[in-house]
Amino acid sequence: MSQAVLEFREVSKRFNSLNAVDRVSFSIQAGEIFTLLGPSGCGKTTTLRLIAGLEEPDDGEILINGKPVAAPRRGLVLAPDKRQLGMVFQSYAIWPHLTVFENIAFPLRVRRETDGVIRRRVHEALDSVGLAGFSERGATQLSGGQQQRVALARALVYAPALLLLDEPLSNLDAKLREQMRLEIRALQKKLSLTILYVTHDQAEAMTLSDRIAVVNGGRFEQVGTPAEVYEKPATFFVGEFLGRMVSLDGTIIKSGADLWIHVAVADVRLVVRGDPAKTFQAGERVRLICRPEDIEILSAGEIQQNQLPAQIEQVAYLGDRFEYQVRVAGVSFIVAAAKKHRYDAGTAVRLSIDPGRLNIRSA
Amino acid sequence: MKPTAVAVPSSKFTFRLRPIRLAEFLALALLIVAMGLPLFFLLVGSFNLAPPGKAAVYGVNNWVNAFTDPGTLGALWMSFLLSVVRLIPAMILSVLVAWLIARTDMPGGRTVESFCWIAYFVPDFPLTLAWILLLDPSFGFLNTAAKGLPFIDVPLFNPYSFWGIVWVHTSTSGIWFKVMLLVPVFRRLGASLEEAARVAGANTATMLRRITLPVLAPMILAVSVLSFIRGLQSFNTELLLGTPAGIYVYSTRIYDYLQREPRAYGEATALGSVFLLVLGILLFFYWKYLSGDKKFTVVTGQGYSTLRVKLGKWRYAALGGCLLYIAVMMILPLLFLVIGSFMRRYGFFGIAAPFTLAHWQNLFSDPIFFVALKNSLIIASVTALGGILLYSVIAYLLVSRRTVTKPWLESLCWIPHVLPGILLSLGVLWLFLSTPLRTLLYGTVWGIALALILADSPVTTQAFKAGLLQLGADLEEAARVSGASWAYTYRRILLPLLAPIAAAVGLMNFGSALTSISTPVLLYSHQSRPLAILLLEYSFTGELERAAALGLLITVIIGAMMIAGRKLGLRLAGSS
Repeated sequence: MSQAVLEFREVSKRFNSLNAVDRVSFSIQAGEIFTLLGPSGCGKTTTLRLIAGLEEPDDGEILINGKPVAAPRRGLVLAPDKRQLGMVFQSYAIWPHLTVFENIAFPLRVRRETDGVIRRRVHEALDSVGLAGFSERGATQLSGGQQQRVALARALVYAPALLLLDEPLSNLDAKLREQMRLEIRALQKKLSLTILYVTHDQAEAMTLSDRIAVVNGGRFEQVGTPAEVYEKPATFFVGEFLGRMVSLDGTIIKSGADLWIHVAVADVRLVVRGDPAKTFQAGERVRLICRPEDIEILSAGEIQQNQLPAQIEQVAYLGDRFEYQVRVAGVSFIVAAAKKHRYDAGTAVRLSIDPGRLNIRSA
Repeated sequence: MKPTAVAVPSSKFTFRLRPIRLAEFLALALLIVAMGLPLFFLLVGSFNLAPPGKAAVYGVNNWVNAFTDPGTLGALWMSFLLSVVRLIPAMILSVLVAWLIARTDMPGGRTVESFCWIAYFVPDFPLTLAWILLLDPSFGFLNTAAKGLPFIDVPLFNPYSFWGIVWVHTSTSGIWFKVMLLVPVFRRLGASLEEAARVAGANTATMLRRITLPVLAPMILAVSVLSFIRGLQSFNTELLLGTPAGIYVYSTRIYDYLQREPRAYGEATALGSVFLLVLGILLFFYWKYLSGDKKFTVVTGQGYSTLRVKLGKWRYAALGGCLLYIAVMMILPLLFLVIGSFMRRYGFFGIAAPFTLAHWQNLFSDPIFFVALKNSLIIASVTALGGILLYSVIAYLLVSRRTVTKPWLESLCWIPHVLPGILLSLGVLWLFLSTPLRTLLYGTVWGIALALILADSPVTTQAFKAGLLQLGADLEEAARVSGASWAYTYRRILLPLLAPIAAAVGLMNFGSALTSISTPVLLYSHQSRPLAILLLEYSFTGELERAAALGLLITVIIGAMMIAGRKLGLRLAGSS
């Protein structure tokens, strides 16, 4: 395996008694977009600041391109300016007293490049973020989206080993956000950048990332491709954070070497695809978890596996679909359905859950 | 990669941490010596029966003397009485004027506001002199003019009295600063609160009485208490007007103790300590009950108010009233200061050739004037530059999360806010006299500059802190991550961004250093006498005309600087 661009080994950071980052280990390979996804205060920004050298870890080791940049046990902490990184701040941190050109040229001037090189590279960077011709503007005369692009250009102008993006899109409006998401992805492919991306927006994480780390309480709950973390959430928190979850309590009826496990939910028997790594005893209380989109409302006469009787409690018309609040075995949840049928509140319906998409856990 | 790549040894760690820690501990040590020690010496000194610099003899005699002297408690009581009595009309007028400017359709509100800003910076000592020229029983212009009226044969006005002091304070510190504090509060009052009252059926008067004033009451009260405390610290007016009539406040009493032969250090210090105690209690309650954020959340509410009260034809009357107040309280005395400086013998308009340039010529041919001017310029420049350097670093440390001694730094910085100039100066005097600093700083311009720098600490630190907080840490961190060292970041990013604040603060401190009397009054010697003290001496020796000329000169310098500063400040506000 090639050299990891970034490696965390059991890194911890405490603020007073709070474990902001709790013995975290991971690595990022060249050319990938690695996203830290989590709610605010989960430690994702602290992780990013540890990489940049803006915070010092209490324990563990951080390596960039195989070189340790922070290892408190050995008394090693490299200053931010010695780490050769690029970073886009949530606030963009565009220096208001400098022009666009001078903002972007700053990292090059620090590195004592010649004027010719600076001019060429700044214009290349401006081109790549679509701001050609803006170089003499005052930094404060730019719109939010333009400032964001300047911050991006400044971060990548000297081709850093790793680009750190701290919620770079959170201050933009929804439309611009979608556009910038695509542009960042395209830029990353074109320049084969390695990016560490921090966000609390799961849609952003899903569309941008090669891999996602879902962060909670200073720990990585799961690291995987977008599909992995969405389809096979390792914990309930991960599942919940990435979308809606439906959770039903049941009791194991039959389980064995057999691939299929039978579970009683209320008085209905459901089959679930088992996990060879996990076995259950008959009579054990379990929890069945799936996504609402894996639940279908059956039309009259239609027969499917895993049928559950349900009651429609409320109907919402969303234009492109209906959303029904349904009640099954004492639990209410929302299921979306196409517009071909409309069920009124109070109607009894049958639901069907795809057995391959039900996850089973000990209660 | 070989493990030897970790050859970056622990020295790198210490190198990285040292500068900011070093700066922090240096700043702390400096503040403890410069702020903490004067306070300490003041408290300890009150129990020391020997004069500073001699072997200490401890006892409570100073306190006994201070309290058995009937003048002492009287002086404390007079301080309170004067501060309260002059606060009441000033507060009522300030609320009225602020309301007129911010919440009504009175024309020219901006002009009135700007004028308050300029008036705030007019130094109080020359203004007090001007009122003497106007009101003095024997030669005051208004008294002489009144004598021409029938049935009046005794002087109508007497500035050397309780009410004279109250009146002159209404002119010098009166409403100017309070209006500046209150106008933004009135402007920011959430429009929705008043609009809701109108929609609910209240007319203007009901809305004002039931909504506007109650909502603003905490802020008005806070401004009142702040003004009251600042009023207690006043010195100049009481010295000029109170002393001839035997009216002493605690600050002039302290000055009086130290003018005696031999200097009564012990009594002065005991009185200062008592006052410090009282002030500490007052400030404790102020902070505890009034300066909290919670009470003002509504006031800093959403949206600027567009709802302005329509005054109808009264709006010109309102403007007329404001302009009349400005004319009587500011323009009239300044005008007579000008006239006074050009009169052969002030008040004698009838003599042949009453006007002369002699006083100005005397002033400019007096070698003492040039020494004082030089001293003042050195003191003011050192104060301004030293303040910028010291407090920008301290403010940086205060906003930095890495600082570990933040509470200590912060409290030390606020000490001068509590300490009136005369007490600070007394504390510094103790520090100079009882330590080896005596030979170095006592009686020198550097010693005076040091005391003035200390006095500037709260406001200057606050200004830099606000500036740094507004900039945010991101701008600095972005530079660091981009590869810039701390020094490069400071030079290319922080310094240019803080320059406007530094300029404004420097200008302000330069100005206050030029006019301050109560701080240098115990610290100067004949070699280090600044202009403001020379002005004090001229007034004491009865050379009122020359004093008028010098006072006018100082006023003009300050005025020009403050107008330049306002331009600077406005540009700063416009660009951000």
